[in-house]
Amino acid sequence: MSMVMSGGRRLSPSSKAALGFFARYATIIGLLLMIAVFAFLSPRAFPTLNNFTNVLNQASLAMIIAGGLTLAVIVGELDLSIGFAASLHGVLVTGLIVANKLPIPLAIVIVIALGALIGLVNGIIVTKAKVNSVIATLGVGTILTGLAFAYSAGVPIVAGVPEAFLQLSLGRWLFGIPNNIIIMAVVLGGLWILVERTALGQEIQAVGGNPAAARLAGINVDRIKILGFVVSGMCAALTGILLASRLGSGTTSAADSYLLTAFAAVFLGSATLRDGEFHVLGTFVGVLIIAFGFNGLNIFGAPTFSQYIFQGAILIVAVGLASLGRMISES
Amino acid sequence: MLSPDRTVSAAMTPFVAAESIAKAYGGVQALTDVSLMIAPGEVHGLVGANGAGKSTLIKILAGLVQPDAGRILVDGAPTSLPTPHHATDLGMSFIHQELAFIPGMTVLQNILLGVPKKTRFGMVDWQAAAREVAPIAERVGIKAPLSASVKGLSTAENWLINICRALVRNARLIVMDEPTASLSAAEAEKLFAIVEDLSASGVAVLYVSHRLDEIMRLCSRVSVFRDGRSVGCLEGAAITRPALIEAIVGSAVAPLAATQRHPVAGRKITLTVDALTRAPKVNGVSFELRQGEVLGIGGLVGAGRTELARLIYGADRADSGVMTLDGASFSPSNPTEAVKAGLGLVPEERRSEGLLLTKSVAFNLQIANLANIVRSPVLPLIDRRKREALSLEIVRDLAVKTPSIDTPVGRLSGGNQQKVVIGRWLLRAPKVLILDEPTRGVDIGARGEIHRLVRELAARGMAVIVISSEPDELPDLCDRVLIMVEGRIVRALEGADITRNAIVEASYFVGEPPSRENTI
Repeated sequence: MSMVMSGGRRLSPSSKAALGFFARYATIIGLLLMIAVFAFLSPRAFPTLNNFTNVLNQASLAMIIAGGLTLAVIVGELDLSIGFAASLHGVLVTGLIVANKLPIPLAIVIVIALGALIGLVNGIIVTKAKVNSVIATLGVGTILTGLAFAYSAGVPIVAGVPEAFLQLSLGRWLFGIPNNIIIMAVVLGGLWILVERTALGQEIQAVGGNPAAARLAGINVDRIKILGFVVSGMCAALTGILLASRLGSGTTSAADSYLLTAFAAVFLGSATLRDGEFHVLGTFVGVLIIAFGFNGLNIFGAPTFSQYIFQGAILIVAVGLASLGRMISES
Repeated sequence: MLSPDRTVSAAMTPFVAAESIAKAYGGVQALTDVSLMIAPGEVHGLVGANGAGKSTLIKILAGLVQPDAGRILVDGAPTSLPTPHHATDLGMSFIHQELAFIPGMTVLQNILLGVPKKTRFGMVDWQAAAREVAPIAERVGIKAPLSASVKGLSTAENWLINICRALVRNARLIVMDEPTASLSAAEAEKLFAIVEDLSASGVAVLYVSHRLDEIMRLCSRVSVFRDGRSVGCLEGAAITRPALIEAIVGSAVAPLAATQRHPVAGRKITLTVDALTRAPKVNGVSFELRQGEVLGIGGLVGAGRTELARLIYGADRADSGVMTLDGASFSPSNPTEAVKAGLGLVPEERRSEGLLLTKSVAFNLQIANLANIVRSPVLPLIDRRKREALSLEIVRDLAVKTPSIDTPVGRLSGGNQQKVVIGRWLLRAPKVLILDEPTRGVDIGARGEIHRLVRELAARGMAVIVISSEPDELPDLCDRVLIMVEGRIVRALEGADITRNAIVEASYFVGEPPSRENTI
């Protein structure tokens, strides 16, 4: 077995093993190191159960949307519509509840169904019309932003949001654990089982790993890709709903920034434990890194702009680590 | 009749000489002690069966691959070709079957791709460039204006543009790989005239082709490769069809005794294919496949065999033609339907189309078998114990050499990877299994095992189609062999007629006028 790196440099087996270990565990080590440093610098504010619960609670919405995106990237596509979609869903769910006086559960079901529909549209454009997924989902996302502005005229829907809807996100209905965390755990657990333990999950992994081989093995590649987009769309809808509940308003563009967070997390996740392969558990770790990073920056009073710098830098580091992992596993 | 390459034309200094070249890819020896000499201005033929090492030598000359041993001399001086640039600078140009073009650019821009151009005020002086290129374009007969886009030009015109590109770079040797593969007869005639014109003006041509009549017509000398060795160089009057075939094939191999073959005549028909067509690669192919039969499809690379397999498997749609499977109409619109109906395919490109290289052996084995390893149809969770047991069973039955069933399949050797792809279909027990070049890149030991396995599957009642470019492989393996040439089945061989020589002759001979044999 030859171990040739892209530059033609040969690696000895031991240095290859060391590099492979680094690529696989760098994210987890980084996360633990970051927690340790913050705990050391701020022993009173940072390492408390309260703060950790708070971080997890804050991170839950990002985890749900990133979990959905994970399915899209596993089947080998990118979904750039999720942030814009989540913003529209937030506006829509508040609108349905406040203006149309729909019962809250019904409004939620409608919005999640709409999320699935948006995913279906994305999937059909990509698989049947053969539009590159970056372009297709960017186009769809932009249209959704337009629809959100059209629906709300750009004015946040604040007045008349019922307390019950706020409690969806703010409540602690089970054992005092914040609802967001419970919902996130259910969604991510469900996605993990779907991908790792079901027959469908094997097909999902096969389509992402090598679509040509998957097709010749008898798998309906288009249908699996569409499924990836549908799951991504539904998770975006759920995130939009929970964000509206947390903010107590339906605000256009409120969820747009989740797009970058989700991408950074998904790529960090692909560099975690597996050599450049996307997976649900990895995404979970990815969001944790970003969430604790933000939390630490907050505690030390770092200005808001530093969050953008942190997130942009981490996205690049994540993609770099992921491709390092792939390179090692392929050499 | 065969003379060693080295003694030929010892009088003049060859333009390019390759001496005792050896090259191995991984464990596979692609070239062993190969020599080739090309004199200035000569049209030199290069022939050999698929896998004889022609492409590897061309890649070495082009600077794309480095030889393990041997040396290359240009104008008598030893030289090294570490990059394609060096080869170009020394006056060698390469025209491949798949022509590299930039579709959005003009004819002129494509001709001058990579050629340093005159500039005026930092901008390319296209007018000066056009003045320079125009006479050369006229010489090779490019009809399209230099300012036209290359989009929509025919393959023949693309060839001319490539030859023009070579001449603009002052090439002294142009290597043409299967130049007439996609040209019409009239276009081919024009190309022959150009080749002769090039030769007359002192530009050597290395003409690589399976088409022996072209070789006989154009070449003054022909080098023959077999199994990675140069077996000789034919010259002048010695270049005859029987001599070429003998050199390409080597000694005849005894066919499988007829008694070992299954009499298939009385068996139930599993698959019928009637006038299946997808232009231009597959033209009106018809045959029947019976239960327990191993049907070989032989012929040269590019004869349309893989395309035929893809049609049967639903990976491509046919223009016309009908199929039946077990008596019922069968027209799969995608592989999913074909697999459901009871087909399996072991594709030609094992690594890119057969396997998920980063996934485990078990994953690759079970990916077409998921319905059988779930706990229940209602709750489709994978039964991991069943998955493991079934995978271990296949690994044991097929003697797949792997550290464990969780090892990424990409780490296995070629033969073991192929066993995994075959094993995938064993789990489903399809009615019809199509194997496309099942032993390519597989070592001798694994090759024997794969052959045994194929016979065993047939003995169990499976109908098997084996596509192979190696004439040696089919006699060992098949009850019946069909030979495809240019998208048609030109001959069906049965019983004792299935010999290596019969397969090679049918692959080369049909469609060419028989009178050719005596013209040179």
